[in-house]
Amino acid sequence: MFKAAHSDVAPKRKKGPGALATAYLVIYNVVMTAGWLVIAVGLVRAYLARGSYHGLYYSIEKPLKFFQTGAILEVMSRVFLTWAVTHSVREVQSEDSVLLFVTAWTVTEIIRYSFYTFSLLNHLPFLIKWARYTFFFVLYPMGVTGELLTIYAALPYVQKTGLYSVTLPNKYNFSFDYYTFLILIMISYIPLFPQLYFHMIRQRKKVLGHVEDYSKVE
Amino acid sequence: MKHYEVEILDAKTKDKLCFLDKVEPNATIGEIKSMFHKSHPQWYPARQSIRLDPKGKSLKDEDVLQHLPVGTTATFYFRDLGAQISWVTVFLTEYTGPLVIYLMFYFRVPFIYAPKYDFTTSKHWVVHLACMCHSFHYVKRLLETLFVHRFSHGTMPLRNIFKNCTYYWGFAAWMAYYINHPLYTPPIYGEQQIRLALIVFLFCQIGNFSIHVALRNLRPPGSKTRKIPYPTKNPFTWIFLLVSCPNYTYELGSWLGFTLMTQCLPVAFFTLVGFIQMTVWAKGKHRSYLKEFRDYPPLRSPILPFVL
Repeated sequence: MFKAAHSDVAPKRKKGPGALATAYLVIYNVVMTAGWLVIAVGLVRAYLARGSYHGLYYSIEKPLKFFQTGAILEVMSRVFLTWAVTHSVREVQSEDSVLLFVTAWTVTEIIRYSFYTFSLLNHLPFLIKWARYTFFFVLYPMGVTGELLTIYAALPYVQKTGLYSVTLPNKYNFSFDYYTFLILIMISYIPLFPQLYFHMIRQRKKVLGHVEDYSKVE
Repeated sequence: MKHYEVEILDAKTKDKLCFLDKVEPNATIGEIKSMFHKSHPQWYPARQSIRLDPKGKSLKDEDVLQHLPVGTTATFYFRDLGAQISWVTVFLTEYTGPLVIYLMFYFRVPFIYAPKYDFTTSKHWVVHLACMCHSFHYVKRLLETLFVHRFSHGTMPLRNIFKNCTYYWGFAAWMAYYINHPLYTPPIYGEQQIRLALIVFLFCQIGNFSIHVALRNLRPPGSKTRKIPYPTKNPFTWIFLLVSCPNYTYELGSWLGFTLMTQCLPVAFFTLVGFIQMTVWAKGKHRSYLKEFRDYPPLRSPILPFVL
């Protein structure tokens, strides 16, 4: 899931952050950009080396895990997808759907963190701003599709092995069915995804509104 | 007697919504709300927020026109609080739910557990005890709502009833499912644990009730005055020496007792979430006591003596 809602808070601050905070944020964003670039480069190299995209997950597994977990401020669903689904259910790691959402996240994040880096330095190239508010049209549905397919692929294995599930009887009188939980997560995409998608469309109109004005001057 | 003119503007759009002339100087905001309601029947008084400043605090119903900082032509700003529902209605609904829902699980109504268990009863005596305690707790709450509590506000926003009922009813179903389950496991330390838990539970129920009665007696019928609560002859109220909101302290104690009695993780969760919410409320109440009363006893903590 893409939490663009949070990301819109950062650039809109009226009072600038102090020098120390800015320095920290710049470093943080540069590191995140670099991290996602590493993952992107890793993906491309692995593809070129193998000639196919099977097993690509393994080539970027380590940096993916590091940069996902390090971004605690970020989308909890991203961490969930990586650890609680993709990592936990080995059978899912060779699925094409994993490539789908990792690619979507990677491209999104490279654009997003360079957007923040440049914004903080008060030098935002229009291309980055345009990319941020235009690429999502494809990247959001792509990422969501990848995520949903991955969770769906994990379901039979979770049911068979009883992964992360607790059954009765036990001394805490508690039970948890991870299989049902995953289904509920999938259902929650239905109300949440359109809200985020339309929010980004509205943001785009606000931020890039004047682009349409230029095209009218003909 | 000099009469006032009152104009009411929309706080957001500044549109003139209502003009009242020949208003008595000793008219209250409550009376002005009734007059406004006549010209705008969809905005009954409970959903009106009348202020001196569009972004300011709401005026109270008891405030008198001539004591407010206004000229003989008074300008007020109006904000619609949305559909309102009475506190009594909300409390009765949110407390009746858990009472009924828990009993449905206790009597193992069909479609909850496997069909062979329909309408059977648990073989563990602690399950019967837990049902009595849970039911007693909510019957007590219902009776207090009807006969003990004196509410400062008559109403709350309508959406609260959905939020509150989801919370109470949802947690009641979740707890009741496990406690009354055919595969329920009784407490590890058996009778000792259950007896201690029952003592804690009953002690805190009596304590909580004592505090509610003490708070009621602070306030004469029909009034909304606020006074500092003090310990009375009832030993259960002596906790006022150390705590601002002992009703919440006792409530926490009751649920800790129930958790110990049932040894059920969902009950522990419910206790924790309730504790967090009550702490937020207690801190708010404690702060308003400190603001309103210069001589507020400094030894008191909001909810847990010396700690929180």
